[in-house]
Amino acid sequence: MVNHYIPSSLKEALKVLNNHDCYIMAGGTDLMVVKHQKSGIVPNFDKDVCYISNLKELQYIYEDEQGVHIGAGTKFVDIENSMIVPDLLKQIIHELASPNIRNMATMAGNIANASPAGDSIVGLYLLDAKLELVNVNGSRLVPIEKFILGVRKIARKSNEIIKEIFIPHHDDLNTYWRKVGSRAAESISKVTFAGGYQVEDGVVKDLRMAFGSIGVTCVRDQKIEQKCIGMTVEELHKNIDNILNDMSKNITPITDQRSTKEYRYKVAMNILKDFLNVIE
Amino acid sequence: MAQFKNSTVKIDNEEKMSGKALFTDDLPSEGFLWVRPLRSNIPCGRIRTINVPKLPKGYYWVDAKDIVKENVVNIIFSDWPVFADRRVNYYGETIGLLIGPDKAKLEELGRLLQVNYDEEIPHFKLNNSKIHKSFTKGNLDEVIKNHDFMLEETFETGYQEQVYLEPQSMIMWLDGDKITIKASMQCPFYIKNAVVRTLGCSPDKVRVIQPAVGGAFGGKEHYPSMMAAQLATAIMKIKKPLKMVFDRSEDLMYTTKRHPSRTTYTGYVKDGRLVGVKAHVGLNGGAYLGCSGVVLNRGLIAVVDSYDVPNLDVTGDVYVTNTMPTAAFRGFGSPQTIFAFEMFIEHIAKAIGVDPVEFKLKHLVKKGQTTAVNGKFHDDIILPQLVEKAMEMSDFKRKYKEYSKPGSNRGIGISTFLHGCGFTGSGESTIINAQLKLTKDENDIVHLYTSQVDFGQGNRTTLKKIVSDTLGIPEEQVTHEAPDTDHTLSTGPTAASRTIIIVGYLCEKAAKHLKEIWKPGVYQEWIEPYVGPDYIHWDEDTLQGDAYPGYAWGVNIVEISFDPITYQVKVEGAWSTYDVGHAIDERIVIGQADGGLAQAIGYGYLENMEMAEGRFRQKTLADYIIPTSADLPMMETELIDNLFAYGASGAKGCGELTFVGGAPALCHAIEMAINRKIYKIPANPEYLMELVENGKD
Repeated sequence: MVNHYIPSSLKEALKVLNNHDCYIMAGGTDLMVVKHQKSGIVPNFDKDVCYISNLKELQYIYEDEQGVHIGAGTKFVDIENSMIVPDLLKQIIHELASPNIRNMATMAGNIANASPAGDSIVGLYLLDAKLELVNVNGSRLVPIEKFILGVRKIARKSNEIIKEIFIPHHDDLNTYWRKVGSRAAESISKVTFAGGYQVEDGVVKDLRMAFGSIGVTCVRDQKIEQKCIGMTVEELHKNIDNILNDMSKNITPITDQRSTKEYRYKVAMNILKDFLNVIE
Repeated sequence: MAQFKNSTVKIDNEEKMSGKALFTDDLPSEGFLWVRPLRSNIPCGRIRTINVPKLPKGYYWVDAKDIVKENVVNIIFSDWPVFADRRVNYYGETIGLLIGPDKAKLEELGRLLQVNYDEEIPHFKLNNSKIHKSFTKGNLDEVIKNHDFMLEETFETGYQEQVYLEPQSMIMWLDGDKITIKASMQCPFYIKNAVVRTLGCSPDKVRVIQPAVGGAFGGKEHYPSMMAAQLATAIMKIKKPLKMVFDRSEDLMYTTKRHPSRTTYTGYVKDGRLVGVKAHVGLNGGAYLGCSGVVLNRGLIAVVDSYDVPNLDVTGDVYVTNTMPTAAFRGFGSPQTIFAFEMFIEHIAKAIGVDPVEFKLKHLVKKGQTTAVNGKFHDDIILPQLVEKAMEMSDFKRKYKEYSKPGSNRGIGISTFLHGCGFTGSGESTIINAQLKLTKDENDIVHLYTSQVDFGQGNRTTLKKIVSDTLGIPEEQVTHEAPDTDHTLSTGPTAASRTIIIVGYLCEKAAKHLKEIWKPGVYQEWIEPYVGPDYIHWDEDTLQGDAYPGYAWGVNIVEISFDPITYQVKVEGAWSTYDVGHAIDERIVIGQADGGLAQAIGYGYLENMEMAEGRFRQKTLADYIIPTSADLPMMETELIDNLFAYGASGAKGCGELTFVGGAPALCHAIEMAINRKIYKIPANPEYLMELVENGKD
């Protein structure tokens, strides 16, 4: 027997989570698939479930001097339509799943699901997003790369909930996005790549590269990025082979029912090369 | 004669658009017991013991021991058992059924039920032939002695899943001592015959009624016979109404697919002409043969597609493996060989340094020439007009020249093809013997009875239209209900692009006869037996003669762009011209054209189903990728009339025709864009990467 909790406020939700080990369900678009048995049979939940989709206080988007704050209950469709969310994220969401999924699913859910093929996660890594986790005692701010630990593994304590996704401002960052799926829409990614750069007077001031679907978590290697920052664009282009070589050790895809490791690796490298060539 | 062209509103539009239509799973079924198949989880071995857990009251187990008469499913070649008996031959073979009122309980019991096997080494290689066919035309030996150029190539095609919207489903109950069945189906009489055969009962003890059906594509031609034989065995034992509905992933993993193929051609060129071809076609039939021999026949008959090759030596085999049996799917063997030959003939042209499209056009068959199996093309062939029109619609010549330049990353390809309509050879007169009943009641309402299932393709509308137009009465004065085997004679299966060319023709003839004897205000009945063209002669044993009553023809042009970074293909345009004789309803034909080509394009570059150790790796529609509308361009289709003497108002078939040429047209376009040769489909990005990085020009 499992219990189902439908709290009417965040405070109440935190109390529930403090007393019970729960699945937290927002849109349910991942959880219901994972727990699905056969049609006509109730989903196979092996522990309690706490529903948060009706918590209005988790549904918001606003910006302040530091950045954009997105409440954990905000649905993808609302993020996609927002005027203040960075274009990169909007572009990612536009190609994510299908309109009916985007109408239900939340970005916090995409993060908490911690799939190696979670598209929004790649953009959030690139933009140094942080997550605000809260419990009955207070809150903490965790960088996304410290939150996602592995395939479906996250650093949430059982009494915590993601309250907010915070994205610092990057007004001068040029961004690049490439999703390689099996088809044009409604597809699970084979490879994704988000890139960001800023060039001033021919010198690279900022460079960021994040890959999805090619390892257990999103891959962003800041050491490689740091090496490139300060180069002139010309030097950067001359160093493309070196950068690809440095990056290659991070690209460790697998072969599964959707693609092969050879394809994922090669395409990841091709995209990185294309991105670096685009910088001017 | 062109009176039918106007498009009408399909009879079933309203009920389907509004959601009122009741599909099998929607039908009232209170008190019905759920049926859960228990399947083999090894590819091959002997069943040592089946340990059935203690079943709660109201729960049942049914297996091969409960077979009433014959443990075989009535399919063309009946070798597939209703329930595995003492051994299993593929992963997923049904061993027995768990039956009871609660689905979750059945799952629990399924987990407790233990089958112990003596596992054997499964056979997956294509070398164990169970059906071998061969024929020759002309004298290939002479050509082999005397030619300028020779090329040998091998082509492979993969599995394809039908992905009908409605999964396999069936309900069955006893009405007195009569078994009554409603199911998602294509062929009501196949189901009826399967039950009669396994039970050994009298045909009047089985009734099959067709509810709304959501797609089939061949996947519901034979598989429902299996389900019906299983449920009938169960119902004789437990006398309770039964319901079996597959989940999507069950349907993906455990129902029949298109045959994977491997085709090898050796072509001989003399004086710039392809004068001879040696061909071998191998099909993976899976663990049981079923209809695979007939699929092979159709593939072999289409072995040189729509091209005239005077000397042939053709062989084919159906190989048995320990895998899910393969069966009917739109095209029925011909998409495999038409893909292979289309690629091959262009490769020959490239190898001898001539323009592939000109080379192909030079070889198009003409009226009066012999077919691959030494029959005759009796009727006018308008392929040159179809080609010209399609080229004009697509601006083919300009694009062809432009995209041929290296580095364009764009391509355009053309395929020309034929499809034999109706059952192979004299099958319509010797095997099916369709009979059509038309009645008129006292109110002068005409009732049309057929066994044709409308699973979306529109024949409830078109057949009715033929009758009302021929009688010269309003459409509202004719009824055409879904088949019920108690009320209709068999007009044959809904398969083989035969519905319009055969049953439509019967409708027209019957209506003409009814018109002749028409007396207002009284009940009248007319039964019309099918009589095909008397000039059609076919020898089933030697595969020689006229293979089909008539041929429909088509041209597909597909334009693509190629992304050299991701090796992905985007379909930019698709144009088609067809000779279906005459369209009974143009919009319905366009529906077939758009859907058929979409499915064919998916077959060509997206739909990847792999087998690993006897199991399909793609178990959900998130992994088995079919195209969505976002992957497809606007498609343009033109029909050119070419009336067929033995069709209603000149109509031939069109359901499969629209499928067979899409994959090669697409692959020609991809070859142009990447300047590499394609030898297998699906030409997915993983394969295209290999070609681009390591392939030959």
